[in-house]
Amino acid sequence: MAYFLVRSILILAFLILIPPLLGEFWAYQLGLYFIYGLAALGVGLTWGQAGILPLGQGMFVAIAAYLTAHGLLAFGSSPIAYLALPAASVLVAVLAFAFAALVFRGRFEQGPSFSLITLALTLAAFQVANGWSSVTGGFNGLRNIPGLPGLDGFLDLYYLIAILLGLSIAAVDYLLHAPIGVLWRAAADNERRLAFLGYDVAVIKAAAFATASGLAGLAGALYAPQQNLVTPDLAGFAFSGDLVIFAAVGGRATVLGPVIGAIVVGVLSAELRDRFPWWEIGIALFFIVVVLRLPGGLMTLFAPLRRFSFARTATRARSAAPGKPRIATSLSVAFEDVRVRVGDVTILDGLSVRTGEEAVLCVIGPNGAGKTSTLNVMTGMLPRRGGRIVIDGADVLRPQPAIVANRGVARKFQTPSVFPKLTIDENLSVALWAGRWRGLDVLRLGLFAWTSPLLEEMRRRFQFLNAGTRPASALSHGERQILELTMALITEPRMLLLDEPCAGLSHEETAAVIDAIQWARGELNLRIIIIEHDMELVRRLADRVVVLHQGRFLADGSVEEVQRNPEVRAVYIGGSR
Amino acid sequence: MEALLFTQGLNVIYEALILAILVLGLAVVMGLLNVLNIAHGEFIMIGAYAAYVVQRAGLPYLLAIPAAALVCGAIGLVVERCLIRPLHYEPFETLLATWGLGLLLRKCVELAFGRGYRSVEIPIRGSLSLFGESYPAYRLALMAVAALVLASLFIWYRRAPTGARIRAMVGNPVLAEAVGIRTRELARNTFITGTAFAGVAGVMVAPLTPVEPFMGLTFIVNSFFALVVGGMGTVAGLFAGATIIGGLQSVLSAAVSPTSAYIAMLLISILFLWQRPRGLFPRP
Amino acid sequence: MPTSIKMTRRDLVRAAGAAALAIGAPAIIRPALAADALKIGVLVADSGPAALFGPAQRAAAELGAATINAKGGILGRQVEIIFADAGASPAEVAKSAVKLMLSDKVEMIFGSHDSAVRQGVENVVKGKIPYIYTPVFEGDDCSSNVYFLGEVPEQELQKTLPKMVELAKGKTFYLVGNDYVWARTTNDKAKKYIADLGGTVVAEDYYPLGAPNKFENTVAKIKSAKPAIVLQTLVGGDNVNFNRTFADFNLSDDILRLSCLLEENTLIGIGKDASKNLYSSLGYFADLDLPENKAFIGELTKKYGDKAPQQCTISKGLYDAFVFAAAVTTKSKSLAAKDFAAAADGVQFETPSGSMTMMHRHTAKNIFLARCEGTKFTVIDTFAAVPTQQSCT
Repeated sequence: MAYFLVRSILILAFLILIPPLLGEFWAYQLGLYFIYGLAALGVGLTWGQAGILPLGQGMFVAIAAYLTAHGLLAFGSSPIAYLALPAASVLVAVLAFAFAALVFRGRFEQGPSFSLITLALTLAAFQVANGWSSVTGGFNGLRNIPGLPGLDGFLDLYYLIAILLGLSIAAVDYLLHAPIGVLWRAAADNERRLAFLGYDVAVIKAAAFATASGLAGLAGALYAPQQNLVTPDLAGFAFSGDLVIFAAVGGRATVLGPVIGAIVVGVLSAELRDRFPWWEIGIALFFIVVVLRLPGGLMTLFAPLRRFSFARTATRARSAAPGKPRIATSLSVAFEDVRVRVGDVTILDGLSVRTGEEAVLCVIGPNGAGKTSTLNVMTGMLPRRGGRIVIDGADVLRPQPAIVANRGVARKFQTPSVFPKLTIDENLSVALWAGRWRGLDVLRLGLFAWTSPLLEEMRRRFQFLNAGTRPASALSHGERQILELTMALITEPRMLLLDEPCAGLSHEETAAVIDAIQWARGELNLRIIIIEHDMELVRRLADRVVVLHQGRFLADGSVEEVQRNPEVRAVYIGGSR
Repeated sequence: MEALLFTQGLNVIYEALILAILVLGLAVVMGLLNVLNIAHGEFIMIGAYAAYVVQRAGLPYLLAIPAAALVCGAIGLVVERCLIRPLHYEPFETLLATWGLGLLLRKCVELAFGRGYRSVEIPIRGSLSLFGESYPAYRLALMAVAALVLASLFIWYRRAPTGARIRAMVGNPVLAEAVGIRTRELARNTFITGTAFAGVAGVMVAPLTPVEPFMGLTFIVNSFFALVVGGMGTVAGLFAGATIIGGLQSVLSAAVSPTSAYIAMLLISILFLWQRPRGLFPRP
Repeated sequence: MPTSIKMTRRDLVRAAGAAALAIGAPAIIRPALAADALKIGVLVADSGPAALFGPAQRAAAELGAATINAKGGILGRQVEIIFADAGASPAEVAKSAVKLMLSDKVEMIFGSHDSAVRQGVENVVKGKIPYIYTPVFEGDDCSSNVYFLGEVPEQELQKTLPKMVELAKGKTFYLVGNDYVWARTTNDKAKKYIADLGGTVVAEDYYPLGAPNKFENTVAKIKSAKPAIVLQTLVGGDNVNFNRTFADFNLSDDILRLSCLLEENTLIGIGKDASKNLYSSLGYFADLDLPENKAFIGELTKKYGDKAPQQCTISKGLYDAFVFAAAVTTKSKSLAAKDFAAAADGVQFETPSGSMTMMHRHTAKNIFLARCEGTKFTVIDTFAAVPTQQSCT
């Protein structure tokens, strides 16, 4: 925390010292690039952290600029005019949030479509700004916008811009290190996993976009009094594209990168433009070189300085996480004549099965029987064509991973699904926070200290979990399986869905995992549904076995009963069916 | 009034087909290889300049087609080797790199030819009379060629072995490599084909649009939206996208006003992108 | 697959150092000029949609400066041009203007760019130094210490529309333009003149700026409506595109077209096959058969040979700006805003298109109606000293 404060103060001091050192023209020029930097800061946040590339941030700058312009024109010399700054930013952020939440709702990993939507919006906004002359002044723009009251000349406004930029950088810096920052990176890394932990991924991504747009709004609000003129070109694609270039060149994964990108590219363009007619070739080549050789942008040159970031050390004292309400019974699920088809292929053909009193239910069956699909349709990853699914007595009409997760269902996938780019500690934290955080907790650094008895036990059993700062991508396959299992367990679910939990594990790892599962089953009121092929495991774990075949229920019973069942034997050995 | 409607009807079909031809190169590169080639418009522009050069040299216009294919294919070869492959065909990285490439190509053409407009004469003069109404012959010829090219491509992609290999590579590159399909060469050749298509499209539209270094920018927006709305990786998607983006804009432009049509096209694209993020007919 | 080699920091630092030197070098190498050189900032289109005019603008400006310097300069001081790019966004150009004033200490600014950029520059100049705006524009701007040399719609249309009606033997008009202030203002003023002539406007179509426009539908509508004259306020690529489409659909035999901004470069783009019955009304054409123009073009050919960039009204205006400034300062003997403004009113100066007179900060000038023949203009009518009818005080 100390590092954070020191760094923020240093940045602020540096910004404030520029005018006395470089002169009034530089204050004016840099004022404009700081405004670009503010908007680029947002682009870096939403792109570098949350993985959403916004191609239309110029639109938000323009909206805020026009709003502020009208505010200044209306309230000119009164101090109320200053309210335009927060009002414009907040308004734009709210608009952006509503829009993004709507677009992201219920859809996973859209790829470029959201980016193209923002592009289309900004192109449309340009035409609107051009045509709606009564409000925007049309092509020639809104002119004679008064400056902010009490600020005279370039220098005063520079200080305001510099201070706001410094504060914004500090704020974004903080956010990136706060739990919300981890959640953003998690969403960029593995949306599906995040949803299965019960998080509302649409809201999380929308929050990133809204924050970025709020910054763009602040930039626009400062633009109007700085330029005294607002023209439609702010909304066109050219400016939005420039912002992406600033973030890319500077380094989108860092806080300072986009700001530095804006200043460096902006100043270079301005200098070269007036001296060399060929500056555009230079910029193009420079840009290509950065993309090819410096994917982390210019900030990779400053990598050594990153040691001074305020990393959480592993020796931070642990505190107890708030408990989750413990419900005495485990979850039950019932399938009634469930049908699933994808294209021409029937996956589940009227599956009817229900859980009973058993704690561990193993689902077996030959390949293609529909075992994983059963879990998929229950958690909303496959659409249901017919039948009912009832979880804990309540019909689940349109299951969604997060909703099902919040009912107390945790799932571990066949191929381990963790957050590879996050550290082990961050992976565990994200799982631990699920369902326990309230309100503004996402901003509290204290959440990183949370732990629970279950988590401590798992840490004791599996030592590698204690190397918390290692990225999850560095783990072996087996370790990832165990990490994912741990993450599922510490959410203290009432139903645990395991899909071949020991696949790819060594003999020792398998034994340790089985041990852990059995211990967890004792600690929590847990029902476990395991899909398995390994009969040895089934024998050791299962209270009851269900056999599926060609998408239908075939047989059930204890392990011995099922093994003696002639139909089951026929299916496995390859009988006439 | 019927005459006007008839002409406008032909206009709609014309705009849809022309857009399909213009988008074809991008459909190959973006739809099959996931490379977001934002310099696609510049390849069209280079094709148009190739047509200008061929015509100025007094050569028959048809020669411009292989000329453009050659030039754009060659540039595509260099680009694939130096930009696309080092970035591992990753969509957002290639978007950025091809952005820089577009800037570079525009500037190079500007230095070679200057910024002014070049006029490419229409190779087929005059009009044809259809149902009593005359319509420019060259445009009709283009429509016929476009329809032919798209139909043949559709059949070829479905039937020919190379088409199957490409579909295999696109669907499961690891497995394709494992069964002996040389994915690196195939990907490179597919990319070059995409840029060559763009060049040929440039030859086709050169007599109809102003030819200047920045002309590529006017094509790229509609191309991207047509692809994303229609669906990437299928010929049906290409058709659907071109019809919706190109055809609809034409209809609205005639019915309401060009500015409203443009904004409407953008809003409809947004709607499609929202509800069908993978497009209408995406690659399965 | 080989892994890419990341650039080391040392490589980049070295490259940055070289770049810094390259950027700084011109300033170091620039030869020291006369200490009392009068610096003039000239805003030209080096980038952006109007970049095709850039080279011609620079050539005309440099010739203007040379011509004035040969006659003793302005107020006895030799003139020095400092160019800046006017093709960027208004904010960027405004910043360039601030730099010109603060760092380079220019004492006048000449600009040849669009109106949005002009607003930006006006905002920062704030009337402190004379700002001479040269290109065709919509009029209706009376900012103080700004002087307008370009054609306004009233000049382009008032005398030429009756002539067009005479040539077309018809009074029905179809208006096609881009959807922004210049086009709409021009059309509004045109409609008044058309009404005065007893003519009618059959339809108006506006096309968005910067969009991939296709004109087949408007051409179809024109074909159906059969007006006598199509009045165009399209710019850039749209101008070329519309006219070619128009001719393609075989309409140029029967319907006349008059464009409000058709200069030599655009005509080349339109091409000889599409320019039949196409007319342009401007204050200058490069082929004008006037001794002043022959001298102007002659000087440029002498200097640049056959690489001389094609002159047009957009670029020639910058030459005029120098002549104008010299004429005013001969009267005012100072560059102070009040003196300059007082002396400017009524000043007459000679340009390659003939005589121009500044009246209330706009310029009365000769207007030429030209018909396109192939890719050249042939002037068929000259209207002398057409006033702008702008009333700035």
